[in-house]
Amino acid sequence: MLVIKDLVKRYGKFTAVDQVNLKIESGSIFGFVGPNGAGKTTTIKIIATLMQPTSGTVEVEGMDVVREPLKVRERIGYMPDFFGVYDNLKVHEYMDFYGSSYGMPYKERQKAAGELLELVDLGHKKDSYVDTLSRGMKQRLCLARSLIHNPELLVLDEPASGLDPRARIEIKGILKELKGMNKTILISSHILSELAEMCDTIGIIENGKMVIDGSVEDIMRRISGRTIIRLKFMDRLEEAINLLKEQPLVEEIIQEGNSLEVTYSGEDQDLWKLLRILVNQELPILSFGKADGNLEQIFMEVTKGEEMAL
Amino acid sequence: MKKWLYNPVMVSELKIKMRGWRTAAAVTVYLGIMLLISYLFFNLTFDNTYGYGNTFDVNNSIGLQIYTTLAILQFALIVLITPAQTAGSISGEREKQTLDLLLCTKMSPTGIVMGKLISSMSFIFLLIISSIPIFSLALLFGGVTPGDIVVLFAFYMITAFAIGSIGMFCSVLFKKTVTSTVISYLTIFVLGILTAIIGATMLQSYYYNSSSVSGMTLDSYTPFVFYLNPVTGLADILARQSGSGGNLGVAGVLSMMFGMGYYGTSNPNTGGMINGWSWSQWSLWIRNAVIMLSAAGTLLTISAWKIKPVRRGFRKKHLANISK
Repeated sequence: MLVIKDLVKRYGKFTAVDQVNLKIESGSIFGFVGPNGAGKTTTIKIIATLMQPTSGTVEVEGMDVVREPLKVRERIGYMPDFFGVYDNLKVHEYMDFYGSSYGMPYKERQKAAGELLELVDLGHKKDSYVDTLSRGMKQRLCLARSLIHNPELLVLDEPASGLDPRARIEIKGILKELKGMNKTILISSHILSELAEMCDTIGIIENGKMVIDGSVEDIMRRISGRTIIRLKFMDRLEEAINLLKEQPLVEEIIQEGNSLEVTYSGEDQDLWKLLRILVNQELPILSFGKADGNLEQIFMEVTKGEEMAL
Repeated sequence: MKKWLYNPVMVSELKIKMRGWRTAAAVTVYLGIMLLISYLFFNLTFDNTYGYGNTFDVNNSIGLQIYTTLAILQFALIVLITPAQTAGSISGEREKQTLDLLLCTKMSPTGIVMGKLISSMSFIFLLIISSIPIFSLALLFGGVTPGDIVVLFAFYMITAFAIGSIGMFCSVLFKKTVTSTVISYLTIFVLGILTAIIGATMLQSYYYNSSSVSGMTLDSYTPFVFYLNPVTGLADILARQSGSGGNLGVAGVLSMMFGMGYYGTSNPNTGGMINGWSWSQWSLWIRNAVIMLSAAGTLLTISAWKIKPVRRGFRKKHLANISK
């Protein structure tokens, strides 16, 4: 579990991180979103014990990053937004080097390195020189390196930046697997849509301030107070539209072929009542569900028009 | 390997350095230069010493002359090569963006600095050790003992360590390897020249004052700045080994090396290298080595402190300031 309380980092008069509060539960994936220069990397470096906070506290599994950095380092795997390469070092030697830097005995680190290289699909490359790997492979190797000492928390700074679509999908797959292994993961990106589908919760940071955090759905409702529902009917659409219009909490209905997008201002407990009304009329509903939400819209509303890649 | 001896950074660096042809080529070129110069010197001296029917003298033998030339040449090469080896050690990690990765492992900053230093120095040590056969040539002609070579090589390693730690310190202070390398060379040469000039001036004024006061002896005075300059130790070792410690003395060798006038001071310890427990009873090169090692230790400690990302003491002080 990661707990950040009132975290502040100042460089002279410039405040890079301003009173950030955050809690990430064990075994969940948190997406840290914000434009470039918003304070993501600074926050991550403080979590990784690589930077001194000006004030506030960061605790990893109950241990303070400033008071007990060594204990935190044992529990945290850090992957920066760049990839450092040593010339003339082979993949398995690279893993072995970091394993020994964490004080792991020879046999243990050899075993862990073998398993992790398999996990990131680099088992066949273990005798290649690190600098000959493709960018995607280096990124995967870097991820394997950050896991060598079996940390509970993984902190990944822009892991998908500069990767081609295939490499991104591979990284996402690995992260899902890691989540299955009950790792807590913090992952940052300036691309919101990249994170939304794999994260349990997200936080949006702008100018050093955490503007909003929670589940994507939650954030959507908190911003607009509305939920978007997507419905699909076999036929009798006119009838369905008329019925929906009569409902007091329905605000807007958009028709697209056999589908309807309904803007709904009620809570979840009102939602099932709406479904019941439709079913009671024996309308042929094929699907009924909350839309993922328009992430671009969320971001623009939250960050007051700061430019951002989506 | 014993756990406390095992330094991951050192092991990995050694592996990287010794891989490929570069190190082998560098050693070959280095030894080639040493051989070429000793060959030229041998030819020249042989003509001068024996070409005109001169008699053989141990203190002026070819062996001793080749030894002295090689000793000074190797010293100069070490001073020239060492900064380049260490000045990029930490800044290079920064440039490769691997320093952060190292710092967030369980390795201590001291471990990182020492691992880097030892692996960088290993190349210098390799050069020094591989030059032993060339130095053995001097033994063939006599005038030098194996013990002399051991003392000289020990002093080389200490000098390399001291110069290496200046390079290391610069690589911690400056972000770019180019800047760090330039500043290391500048620092080393300015330090070398300044200590020589200041020391010589102090020696001269001492000589001037003491000769005006009757009854004051001329020996046992070494300006402190000379201890910061490894040329002092080298001059002491060579003077001692050439047997001129008594009459020419360190100041004599020094003044010859720096091209200054001869001040006539003599080495107070013409006997053994360590004659007792007090500072003045140690021979000059040992005092020089002790001061250089202490300075190197200080620089390395500061280097390790500088790369430490999170410092508890700092934060407490900082928080106290904020709360005021």
